[in-house]
Amino acid sequence: MRNAYVDQFPAEARVVKSAFWSSFLALAIGGIFGLVQALHRTDVLRFIDSTDYYTVLTAHGVLLAITFTIFFLVGIFTWAVTTSLDRGVVDIRFTWSWYVMMVTGTVLVAVAIFSGFLEEPPSILGSELYADVLFTFYSPLQAHPIFYIGLVLFVVGTWLAGFDWFRTWWAWRDENADERIPLPTFMVLTTTLFWYICTLGVALSILAFLLPWSLGIVDSVNPLLTRTLFWYFGHAVVYFWLMPTYVMWYIMLPKLSGGKLFSDPLARVVFVLFLLLSTPLGIHHQYLDPGIAEGYKFIAMTNTMFLLLPSLLTAFTVVASMEHGARQRGGEGYLGWLTALPWRDPVFTGMALAGLMFAAAGFSGMINAGMNINYLVHNTWWVVGHFHLTVGTAVALTFMAAAYWFIPQVTGKELWSRSVALGQVLLWFVGMTFMSNAMHRSGLFGMPRRTAEPQYQNFDFEPAVGTVAEMDAQVALGAVLLVVSLVLFLLNMVLTSFNGTSDSIPDNTYAGTLSGPEDAPEILDNLKLWTAIAVVLVIFAYTLPLASIVESGGLFGPGIDGRQLSLGADLEPALETLREVVA
Amino acid sequence: MSSATERETGDRAVESDSGDIGTVRELGHDEFDPIGTLILIAIYFAILVMLWLFMYFVEFLGNGPTVVGSLATVVGLA
Ligand code: HEM
Ligand SMILES: [Cu+2]
Repeated sequence: MRNAYVDQFPAEARVVKSAFWSSFLALAIGGIFGLVQALHRTDVLRFIDSTDYYTVLTAHGVLLAITFTIFFLVGIFTWAVTTSLDRGVVDIRFTWSWYVMMVTGTVLVAVAIFSGFLEEPPSILGSELYADVLFTFYSPLQAHPIFYIGLVLFVVGTWLAGFDWFRTWWAWRDENADERIPLPTFMVLTTTLFWYICTLGVALSILAFLLPWSLGIVDSVNPLLTRTLFWYFGHAVVYFWLMPTYVMWYIMLPKLSGGKLFSDPLARVVFVLFLLLSTPLGIHHQYLDPGIAEGYKFIAMTNTMFLLLPSLLTAFTVVASMEHGARQRGGEGYLGWLTALPWRDPVFTGMALAGLMFAAAGFSGMINAGMNINYLVHNTWWVVGHFHLTVGTAVALTFMAAAYWFIPQVTGKELWSRSVALGQVLLWFVGMTFMSNAMHRSGLFGMPRRTAEPQYQNFDFEPAVGTVAEMDAQVALGAVLLVVSLVLFLLNMVLTSFNGTSDSIPDNTYAGTLSGPEDAPEILDNLKLWTAIAVVLVIFAYTLPLASIVESGGLFGPGIDGRQLSLGADLEPALETLREVVA
Repeated sequence: MSSATERETGDRAVESDSGDIGTVRELGHDEFDPIGTLILIAIYFAILVMLWLFMYFVEFLGNGPTVVGSLATVVGLA
């Protein structure tokens, strides 16, 4: 008897499958734009107007960093909750409704962005339809209201998804009062909790400032305030992408390696630390913003360094679990066991290579995190090199590798080709090595990010080692390899969906543990406690900086008193209190 | 003492399918000592330290400290 996910939860499998396909579509379009950017910037091939560059870059950033990642996440999380609780969602219609809401939001956002390619974008609601605001969308860049409305729908969709996972857990708890929360569900719930905390920041930024501003209800906004509210969310969103990746590394990689998760308690500690620390450090993206005092930046830096702890715990636990698997498979020696790992399995190899890239990103991340060294690389291509290792590989490659396991699970169809899959993950690794390494190096001599034409008149970059032409060539080559890899991935997915159903799909299981939940202190499962502490930390980290930003720049811009606005009137007394606190 | 030969034939031949893991022995919590992990992490740390030293040459030699000025700027008074 076949016992794949689709056999256990046919209704849920359909939602998960739809979420995966939404995510693949975003990956396909976004990835092609990545190639366009790389070729344009390096002047290898320019077929778009440089004035359209921000439209391309916005589509690339939004479709990959927001759409691709989060659609895949909701798929994995729905799988993780139902599989580990061994029950379906409470009401499948509710599950479909948040999925449809996310899709609707995405379509609105995409329409707004893509309309930017038209010669003459149509005028809707009294303003031109475009959204060349990049995936960070803070002012002074302004988008059409439809873009913001789409974002809101998308985020509210994820909130409902989170509620869906919670209520499924509540229903399970009613019948299993004395049991520990199964690890995969625990991971989903802690992640959802910090997602609620951090998205409040963007929700506020969009609903109170950006949307009214783009609708013409208010004349201006305080740019530093919208930036700060974005980054309040913008660091935590990074962990939102990363947590499903960690879920895969913790509960799939050990099994794929032939072993068990080294420690369930350690995994719980790591996820609790992410719940606590994901949000109160967003200011580390603003080390160069004038208007935020150094002391607050210093606090953000300190919190960031604390986050090294869960990352190192993860490195240890995940590698130890792989070693356990390798030794069970007969591996010997200090490092000889590495050869006993299943390197011919694309799912394993993709995830392992993704983890290796993440370790490399650890170094460039530490450079970014240091307040002083950050000055060297801020807004250069170094940063772009860094996050193509993190979200662009650790996350994206893990997801693609995971898809090779998941798509058969949710469709009951066998993967079209395992060898093409293996080639695909290797090619991504090689392509990214070229592209990211050259980007890092370009950043060291000041090559800026987010510009169509990084070459200037009467000025030459002076790399200490190598030449600009050589680095450009590596970026272009890397980008081509990446896109070939992407095409192979999509081809495999499409051809798999044309396969007939198969009886040889592996069972839907995840890794056991060497040291299980019985070794984890009960308090780790006290979600209310951790949420309360997380909120307190956020209040500590953000009250004073926000108050001082509003005080010096006004809620809606310098010199523009919020008082004549209905919204400002409510905030004024609160602000007054804040002012007194600060003074 | 047959385990050694079993290991020879047992493992890599059953190269994994994502579902099938090719286990040749069971290692419980107490029999498993992640020495290889320790070595790998030590190597990683060594690389990090080397890169940090390298960074010192890239950034600091010949430049003054860049960020923290007087106490007044740290607490946001100036
Ligand atoms: C197909 C492979 C890819 C290529 C060739 C590629 C290429 C690029 C290039 C050249 C830039 C820099 C543009 C500039 O600074 O002017 C960029 C930016 C970016 N990429 Fe990629 N990329 C790829 C995949 C990905 C993936 C998988 C993700 C995330 C999941 C991603 C996320 C981003 C983000 C967030 C930015 C920054 C956008 C901004 O500055 O607003 N990329 N990409
Ligand atoms: Cu960050």
